[in-house]
Amino acid sequence: MTRNTRILMSIIYWAFVVYLFVPLVLMVLMGFKDSKFIGFPIKSWTLDWYIGVFRDTEVISVFVYSTTIAVASTAISLTVGTWISVLLAGRSFFGRTVIFGLTVLPAVIPGIISAISFRIFARLLGIETGMFAIIWAHAVHNVPFVALVVMARLATLPASHTEAAMDLGADRFVSFFRITLPYLKPALIGAGVFCMLLSFDDFVRSFFLGGYEPTLPVLIFSKLRSGMSPEINAIATVVLIMTAVLGIWAERSMRRMGKGT
Amino acid sequence: MPTTEDPIVHIDGISKSFGKTVALQRLDMKIRPGEFVTFLGPSGCGKSTTLRLLGGFAQPDSGRIVLGGEDVTRLPPNKRRVNMVFQDYALFPHMTVTRNITFGLELKRMTRDRIAARLDELLSFLELDAFRDRFPDQLSGGQRQRVALARALAPDPDLLLLDEPLGALDARLRAQVQLELKDIQRRTGKTFFFVTHDQDEALTMSDRIVVMNQGRVEQDGTPEDLYLRPKSRFVAEFIGETNLLSGPVRHADDGRVAIDWFGMQIEGRAFDSTPRPGDMVTAALRLEKVGFFDARPETGNAVQGRVVNRVFKGSRTAVDVRVGDAGAAILKAYVDREVPDDVWLGWDPANLAVLQD
Repeated sequence: MTRNTRILMSIIYWAFVVYLFVPLVLMVLMGFKDSKFIGFPIKSWTLDWYIGVFRDTEVISVFVYSTTIAVASTAISLTVGTWISVLLAGRSFFGRTVIFGLTVLPAVIPGIISAISFRIFARLLGIETGMFAIIWAHAVHNVPFVALVVMARLATLPASHTEAAMDLGADRFVSFFRITLPYLKPALIGAGVFCMLLSFDDFVRSFFLGGYEPTLPVLIFSKLRSGMSPEINAIATVVLIMTAVLGIWAERSMRRMGKGT
Repeated sequence: MPTTEDPIVHIDGISKSFGKTVALQRLDMKIRPGEFVTFLGPSGCGKSTTLRLLGGFAQPDSGRIVLGGEDVTRLPPNKRRVNMVFQDYALFPHMTVTRNITFGLELKRMTRDRIAARLDELLSFLELDAFRDRFPDQLSGGQRQRVALARALAPDPDLLLLDEPLGALDARLRAQVQLELKDIQRRTGKTFFFVTHDQDEALTMSDRIVVMNQGRVEQDGTPEDLYLRPKSRFVAEFIGETNLLSGPVRHADDGRVAIDWFGMQIEGRAFDSTPRPGDMVTAALRLEKVGFFDARPETGNAVQGRVVNRVFKGSRTAVDVRVGDAGAAILKAYVDREVPDDVWLGWDPANLAVLQD
């Protein structure tokens, strides 16, 4: 590579970085603007919008609601996804490809389609819209991501490890919980964080299956309809920071754990 | 009550196939308590299959496996008093040396005090005291191998299975570990079932070697038996370096067989076969059993020849000697001194083993 192409490449790279981050920076900045309207110039600065976010009981209760849904749906996805992975790992049996295909399917169905079908199905079963329905829809949607990550990790677990556990007196159950599961830990943390973020971020399914209580994205959407205000920027910035911290923590702990194995 | 004369392991006519590949054909075998038995053979000979059947990781198509008087053929690994040292050691990466070793003891529901005592015993026995809190990835190959051994010995099994556990070590360390392993086996008095494709390993450590080929036992005997009195061409060629001498039998009498080898009359011993005059036979002669003489030796076999090639190997020289009328054959030999080009070669007829095939 010549010097000029190298310079050109780095310019393109930095332009891309700017393109990615400028919207975020703008969003954060507007949260500090002492005015009801979004836009430059920012004449005076304030923390009122942020203070408002933490004082607003509606925002806080919606935040707790969204977090509960994220945690619960993630727990279900991790359990079911791991279960399927262990079932599909290694040995081949009749219907293996079909099960794998069905497992991955929810990941590729467009959100709006799956949301509508969930709504119809819920009505059919008599499941009321609300938290339970949203958790269920998020869990189903997230299982493929868990299954793919866990299967990839499981493929690197030497068969001799579980055989050694059995050899030393463990049954399949003990061998799974004491050998396989610890080995999967980095994958489970990664997949879990990803699921939480997906659930927290989801709008379409939450919108279609929500009851009277909105999730955070639904709340922001309804606030937007009554006009953009720096309050929304403040809410978004708080969420941005929290998810970024969670993501970075997960990435770091995965890397640390992955090293030894 | 089993006595020491009863076999600890009785393999009773087991067969095993994988699809169309026959891994084992009606294997019969008895192993006495305290024996160091090595299954030796090339890959695919059935030695690893036997090991996995004993461990309970696979079931035979037919036949029985009796362990300490109990039929264990259909028992899973966790119900057998057998432990295994895996080829890749299979140490649990998220557990310390201590936790690895005590894993099997906890599952046996031993009391905490007894586990601690057993752990200390094993750690000092295998010189692992300094590493008790380390994780497997903080250990060297030799240390890992010792941890794997400690973990397998911990539950006090009737039979210890070892699946080529030295394969991952470098040559120098391997030689040392071979002696250590033999020593550990002697001191614990445990029955070791060792699987390898390395003949040096087998000869160094074993009380008894079973040479396997294509799912069948080629020969079963002491290292000396196999080395000096191979039954088949396969065993003779698989273990050590050897000269194979073929020719028709001139006369045979009570195990003494005279063979016409390119016009030279040589005498060998038949240990397991009774060749008759006129049969074509092959006999095996180890390179180091060939002696060099200035004149025709008075006893034993003697042939005259001319050195055609010398390869210096440090402590000895490998020599090719062309022998017989018109130099019809080549005899390979080791010699530890300078020899002239024209020599007489001689050997004790007991060292020329007539093969079955």
